Amino acid sequence: MSDPDTPAIAAATTIDFEALFETAPCGYLVSDRDGRLVRVNRTFAGWLGVTPDDLRGRRLPDLLTVAGKIFYETHFAPTLRMQGRLDEVALELVAADRRRLPVLVNANTNEGDADADRQVRFAVFLAAGRRGYEQDLLDARDRAQATIVSERADSELREQFIAVLGHDLRNPLASINSGLHLLARETLSARGTKVTELMSGSVLRANALIDNVLDFARGRLGGGITLAYDAHTPLEPMLQQVVSELRSIAPAQSIVTHFALHEPISCDHVRIGQLLSNLLGNALTHGAKDQPVRVDATTSLGELVIAVSNGGTPIPEAVLERLFQPFYRGHDRVRQGLGLGLHIASEIALAHGGTLVARSDAVATTFIFTMPLAN
Amino acid sequence: MLPILWSAHPAMPIEPTMSDGSPSQATVLDTLNVRISAGTGRTMMFAHGFGCDQNMWRFVAPDFATDFRTILFDHVGAGGSDLGAYDADKYDSLDGYADDVIELARTLDVTNGVFVGHSVSAMIGLVVARRAPELFSTIVLVSPSPCYIDDIDYTGGFTRDEIDELLQFLDSNPMGWSQAMAPVIMGNPDRPELSEELAASLCRTDPEIAKRLARVTFLTDSRGDLGPIDADVLVLQCREDAIAPPGVGAYVQRAIPGSRLVTLDAVGHCPNLSAPASTIAAIRAFV
Repeated sequence: MSDPDTPAIAAATTIDFEALFETAPCGYLVSDRDGRLVRVNRTFAGWLGVTPDDLRGRRLPDLLTVAGKIFYETHFAPTLRMQGRLDEVALELVAADRRRLPVLVNANTNEGDADADRQVRFAVFLAAGRRGYEQDLLDARDRAQATIVSERADSELREQFIAVLGHDLRNPLASINSGLHLLARETLSARGTKVTELMSGSVLRANALIDNVLDFARGRLGGGITLAYDAHTPLEPMLQQVVSELRSIAPAQSIVTHFALHEPISCDHVRIGQLLSNLLGNALTHGAKDQPVRVDATTSLGELVIAVSNGGTPIPEAVLERLFQPFYRGHDRVRQGLGLGLHIASEIALAHGGTLVARSDAVATTFIFTMPLAN
Repeated sequence: MLPILWSAHPAMPIEPTMSDGSPSQATVLDTLNVRISAGTGRTMMFAHGFGCDQNMWRFVAPDFATDFRTILFDHVGAGGSDLGAYDADKYDSLDGYADDVIELARTLDVTNGVFVGHSVSAMIGLVVARRAPELFSTIVLVSPSPCYIDDIDYTGGFTRDEIDELLQFLDSNPMGWSQAMAPVIMGNPDRPELSEELAASLCRTDPEIAKRLARVTFLTDSRGDLGPIDADVLVLQCREDAIAPPGVGAYVQRAIPGSRLVTLDAVGHCPNLSAPASTIAAIRAFV
């Protein structure tokens, strides 16, 4: 054959294996069944600053750090004995001058021979760069874990703080509320009646704010919004109650409702009430005071749709996009509120497998909540 | 917690009488990946040490399997045990591991049995012997060390700093464990007697658990657990052992009155693997 490759292959067969063993770019070690080194190549001995003869009769663990020694005796040697091979063990050699050389070691045994003849062959690779890189990764992981642990502790503290705060805020509000109920039974002047009505409205608003803050905190802390589904009780009375509560807060504004709920709805009534309360509160605050706020709730085509719309200046496109982000208060920084109401409303919509979208033009700004009737 | 993808692979049949269906039995037998031989004599329980699992008895236990009822198991966190059962609080001392041995022995109605414990399990055996002396009347301590760290008048072989370095070291050597590798079953054509599943789980453990066990193994000072004990105690020691040097074996023998020391002509920390024949002979001569 006159294949042009043939001469190259012929040349390859003249490799000097003795020289390859001695000066290979890795360390070669052969030990007897007790782990005593019977042959070590020059590359390996050179790394340690000794001669191959110096190492004969010693054991690999003798050349390792203490940690490596323990690992060798408790895991490396037993596994090698049972499995016949073990790869990629990361060890550190200790050189004659006490310098440490990070290495990776592969080993196998010449199984099949008589027990007494059993030998172990090691191939040792310098791995300072790789091991340094791994160490960096381990350090980064440890730092990240430490951060997570401290963050978790912080957030637990925050959660407790918010729970206690919510509780402590609700208590005085409840007292004010029962005080107002007592006063309502008294004969009050027209002015007194007016003041207590306003106060009742404020109590309602404050309660709604606390609800939103607590829900937001729980959501952020991983608790999420939990739902108690109810498919049997009619939803309409809950919606009517929300509307009448908000009417009492803003008696001057007209709220026009249209309810057509003819199919059973599986949802969390309190949550849907909260959603409507947030949307309606938003419409009453930001809508034009001289135009009615409309609430439409209908069931059709397997969906519940609640739409709340108000008149007034349209919301710019850019603002619409960010409306449901927490603490977003749009361009209207004068009006009160944390900017959580719409965010919580959209979270409630999501939790029900539904959507909450906003549309705004010169005629009306409308928030449309849609969810499937069956969960 | 990572999924445990290797399944139980009974090397020896579990006696039908052992599975009477009571839930607690099923639990401890599954959790500790227990293997029981069909032998009908005295019970001989083998407990493995740090760094490995019950497979380290593979050259020793079969010799006893017919004239003893041999029990092999993996400590929680090792080999084929249920990693989900690992409880950092329970297993932060030898007592947690001793609890498991006692529960296992009681579940299997062991009395006057033989307990063979290697390395840290030798010390666990002594804790068991104190807390439940009725279970085992013979305790074989293979390469034991009650304390690895040097002290005044005591040479354990290591300093505290060296043990701390070991814990760091284990981060770099996750004992063949990685999330990507866990489900891979490695073929092992050179060792047909090793089933594929076995090769995949051999001496493998979750690195976090390995580090915790290393801490318990190498930082526990069990010298207080030595002293008079109501069982026959055999100390097996290798001629050369970097982990538990001969002087430590002699210390253990002196500290347990009436105990016997046998020094095997073997090198290393695991005579059950490197010199199984003489290990078997020494145990047979004693029981």
